[in-house]
Amino acid sequence: MAASRGWRAALVLTGFLAAGAGAAPAPVGQDTLAALLPGDGAVPGWSRDGALQEYVGEDLYTYIDGGAEIYQEYGFRRVVLQDYKNGAGKSVSVEIFEMETPAAAYGMFTFKRSGKGRSVPLGSGGELEDYYLNFWKGRFLATLTGFDETPATIDGLMAVARAIDSKSGERGEVPDLVGALPAAGLRTGSVKYLKGLLGLNNVYPFYTARGLDFREAVKGDYDGGSSLIVLQYASVEARDKAWAGLKAYLETTDRFKKAGAAETAVPLFRDGKGLYAAFAPSGPRLFVGLGANPSAALAVVEQAR
Amino acid sequence: MRRTIGRRDFFRTSAGAGLSLAMARALAAASASAAKTKAPTIGVGIGEDHEKAAIKAVELAGGIKRFVPKGAKVALLPNVQSRHPGSYTKPEILRAVIRLCRKAGASEINALSWQTVKQWEDTGLKAVLDAEGAGLRIFEKDESLFKPVPVPNGIALKEARVLAALFDHDALINMPITKDHAGNKFTGTMKNLMGLNSPANNRTFHRPNWTTDPDGIAHLDQSIVDLNKAVRPALNVVDATEFIVSNGPFGPGQLFSPQRVVAGTDRVAIDGYCAALWGLKPGDIVQIKRGGEQGLGEIDPDKAFIKEEDI
Repeated sequence: MAASRGWRAALVLTGFLAAGAGAAPAPVGQDTLAALLPGDGAVPGWSRDGALQEYVGEDLYTYIDGGAEIYQEYGFRRVVLQDYKNGAGKSVSVEIFEMETPAAAYGMFTFKRSGKGRSVPLGSGGELEDYYLNFWKGRFLATLTGFDETPATIDGLMAVARAIDSKSGERGEVPDLVGALPAAGLRTGSVKYLKGLLGLNNVYPFYTARGLDFREAVKGDYDGGSSLIVLQYASVEARDKAWAGLKAYLETTDRFKKAGAAETAVPLFRDGKGLYAAFAPSGPRLFVGLGANPSAALAVVEQAR
Repeated sequence: MRRTIGRRDFFRTSAGAGLSLAMARALAAASASAAKTKAPTIGVGIGEDHEKAAIKAVELAGGIKRFVPKGAKVALLPNVQSRHPGSYTKPEILRAVIRLCRKAGASEINALSWQTVKQWEDTGLKAVLDAEGAGLRIFEKDESLFKPVPVPNGIALKEARVLAALFDHDALINMPITKDHAGNKFTGTMKNLMGLNSPANNRTFHRPNWTTDPDGIAHLDQSIVDLNKAVRPALNVVDATEFIVSNGPFGPGQLFSPQRVVAGTDRVAIDGYCAALWGLKPGDIVQIKRGGEQGLGEIDPDKAFIKEEDI
């Protein structure tokens, strides 16, 4: 754990002095991540509880033993952790992840949200679930967890989150690929931005399919129950190669059955759970439409192409 | 804290809406025919009193005396990975198991861990150990404290490195919480044993420069199966009361509350049952599938005897 090392401890201390003294927000760099954490008294009624922890790079496996891979896939740099408590004994834990890029932070934000929470005006986007909230801003993703759902705890979650938000001058835009999802009927909270196979297999399992080495991907769910996945490749040639590999897998695995008629221009398969999947290569992208019936799967693909 | 995702609600959002609780019930019904054969037995206590559910589960699995001999030194392995709701074994279940061990005449009961004391405190598990007079033996992540153990028929893992203190005990009770896992989708009895293996050895479960490709995930799951060939718990007691079904294994994430405690010795059958609870097809989980193929247990639900009882 990096926080035990002297030089990094000094950085952490510097961050806390800045935060505690109510210093003006400074541009956030990789050495001042801890400065985003509110100091004692910065959020009325809430104070720090316990020591700050920090994990850098591969040390994330120490903190999230067995669960760090998805952060690494998106591009992880470091995380700081700090608990807060109020006078009534309520607790809030804060994790601020510094990712490599704003796209990585946005991606982890979308990966972690259920889509069923309430959108909250924090950072570049935030969502409050039953007892926790996530928001992203630039390269940062903040996850705040309460340990009950009482109004006092939820108010504390929001107050601490707003304090973090106010300390960051980061900016970041939603990746352009998200715009490949047609807006009509899209459930915006369902959007998942993906950077690798681990994320993809968590939103739709392709199991042992090879050749899916896309550069980025996005998935969204639509009113009516269909979904669209857009895989972006580096070039048309890369997409051609990937699609050839995936198609060969789909045609030979027992996990998918060919469902489309021979005359259908868009290859159609049915997965083990009865869902239809339509595949439409186009330029450097591969569009995958998912639906409960063939027409739903084909329609969502055609809408996007 | 009780947070319940309604079943209907869960079915709508789950990728495996066709299975879930209904599937688990069907498996239980189908398994009745296995009762007359030498089938693995799984006990399931169902109810919101988690201590009573745990006691019932162990009773249905054959009773604690079948697993813990009189005078035995017992090692316990609850999951303390995170204190986010639904990501760690409930203290009430730990209390039940300690009391059952006492009832069986255990001479000594210790929880073993290389996690921090703070994690045990934050999850409320240390308070239970203290109150019940059980020990907490925390070990540094020092490789000298782990014993090399050859893996019989190991495929990805030829040698495990298990906490040496385990071998001071006569029986291990494995006590995971079942939950989501972003890497291999599922955490259960088999995955939990990584909590006894050295962190350095656990890291080898992930291939160098792992890019989360299918081969990398398969390597992780195979390593878990291999570890389970080297370490065999006397009993598994699984918290399936309320657990995260997203953002696992650490959380915070969406909670699902089937209110069950599951007990038995067959890790494959138990994990298959738990996976089906939340809509996963056991055969789709590589560690369960390979565990079954490599002789760790029974993946066919028709060949397991599942006893469920409300409390």
